[in-house]
Amino acid sequence: MTDRLSGVASAPVSAPPAEWVDAALLAGDDAEVCLHMGRPVTRQELRALVGQQQDMLAGAGLAAGGTAVLVLPPSLTYVATLLAAWRLGAQASLLDHRLARGEIERAMSRLAPQVAVTPTQVNGTPMSGYAEVLPAAARQPAGRPAGTPHALIQLSSGSTGPSKVIARTAADLLWELDRYAQLSEYPGRGERIVLLASIVHVLGLVGGLLHSLHAGVQLAFVSRLTADGIREAVTGGSEPTMILGVPFHAELLTATASGRPLPQLTRMVVAGELTRPGVPAAFTRAYGVPLGSMYGMTELGVIATDLSGLHRPAVAPAPGITVRVGEGELQVKMDASPYVGLVDPTRWNGGWLHTRDAATVDPATGLVTILGRLDSQVSIGGLKVDLTEVEQTLCAVPGVASAVVVFGDAIEAYLVLDEGGSIAGVEAALTEQLASYKQPRIMRALRQLPRTATGKIVRDRAVLRAQASAQ
Amino acid sequence: MSEPEDMSERRAPSRDEIVAMLATLGDRPIEEVGDQIGSLELTWLVTQIEERYDITLDLSDEDLSRMMTVSGAVTALRDVLAEAGRA
Repeated sequence: MTDRLSGVASAPVSAPPAEWVDAALLAGDDAEVCLHMGRPVTRQELRALVGQQQDMLAGAGLAAGGTAVLVLPPSLTYVATLLAAWRLGAQASLLDHRLARGEIERAMSRLAPQVAVTPTQVNGTPMSGYAEVLPAAARQPAGRPAGTPHALIQLSSGSTGPSKVIARTAADLLWELDRYAQLSEYPGRGERIVLLASIVHVLGLVGGLLHSLHAGVQLAFVSRLTADGIREAVTGGSEPTMILGVPFHAELLTATASGRPLPQLTRMVVAGELTRPGVPAAFTRAYGVPLGSMYGMTELGVIATDLSGLHRPAVAPAPGITVRVGEGELQVKMDASPYVGLVDPTRWNGGWLHTRDAATVDPATGLVTILGRLDSQVSIGGLKVDLTEVEQTLCAVPGVASAVVVFGDAIEAYLVLDEGGSIAGVEAALTEQLASYKQPRIMRALRQLPRTATGKIVRDRAVLRAQASAQ
Repeated sequence: MSEPEDMSERRAPSRDEIVAMLATLGDRPIEEVGDQIGSLELTWLVTQIEERYDITLDLSDEDLSRMMTVSGAVTALRDVLAEAGRA
């Protein structure tokens, strides 16, 4: 296993901002197809598009050391704009376009970008894996330049108060790309990845988009995010192909396996949450290839992998990654804190990132077994949601007196309404405040929340459900 | 008199049938299926419907918006399948 510092040292960390993007992501033959979004996109075309977006951003006043926020759906425009911002030497913040208006307003206020890039026109449906976007770059009068040397800013779902601001430098991204390059089972030049994970979040962004550009892998997006649409994307090229997604996608493909062979398919790899027992074996029976898994975090990217499903449910630390378990929690060696504006020793302390995941490490093999969360974070299709954030948002909705949010197979809310309040009214208000994937799938009104003898709110789903049914 | 075998595939799915399809996601009991349909459940439901009716659904943004609840999905699928001549 290599030391982290050696990985960093091999990256061009001292190069001017534009050069790391050109050297690590955009270099390659003009005619090489690097992306496929309904049509092939060559490196020559991508470079031209990045140049256009650079002009657009510079026209809005973005320069080296500046800040831009992207609120764009997955699209060629998104890819080109992100690379353009980095090429200018600016700091790019990524906001999921599915966030609710209130969430975006709060994030913009927090991040204070100098330039905001939003779509003026979007062609594509929610069933598509990508969209066609006409963007606009707007100068923000109250925007501030970058206060840190980070290239990438992402927000997490927060358990206490506002979201955490997670920041990564170009060197850190290059270190992650170096880790992917050292994984011999991960696709390399001449191969393809069919990407089902969002390129706004770390798995799809680095494991899909940036790795593909870096390693000469063709990255294919699906026109329809149904099982048939995914299979069509796999058969859309002749190269050996890996599907990259979340466990839901593996279940979808397994449940609807048609028996039609997919000769290009070499493996599927999922991340973002634990895979249900039985799914990997069923997937392999259906498609004749392994279902592998990866474990990672927004703060650091890929941490551990089991790309061929040989160690399930354990995963092996990625090259250069050092882990340990302290008080039952998995910790990962990380020289600098990934958080901006947050001094929380329970998150990062003394060169160790605290994952909040319970885990064990086999002393003989070093394999890591993730056991589950130690806090209130859950994963919805690979997207992290903190139940505390949902509960706090719900409690702040006019008409809600009190609420409890719990998780079984989906987010469930049990609430006491003020006089005149209604479930429909609460649901309507929540759409303005929470992204769709964070909203409770089940919402029940109770006359009062069940409490223990000492007055604590009961968070047992069975008790809450029974009380809702009894009314 | 028994119903012809293909009749079940010639009519739009009922609410109970849609809930049953959603319940197969994660092998959940039917009572665990909520009123709201998230994007993953929507993908699951569309895949199930396309397989059952051997059709590729042409769903507009408006159709998909209607399908964000179980009740909405019942009426939206009835309309879409009728338009496609499948129900």
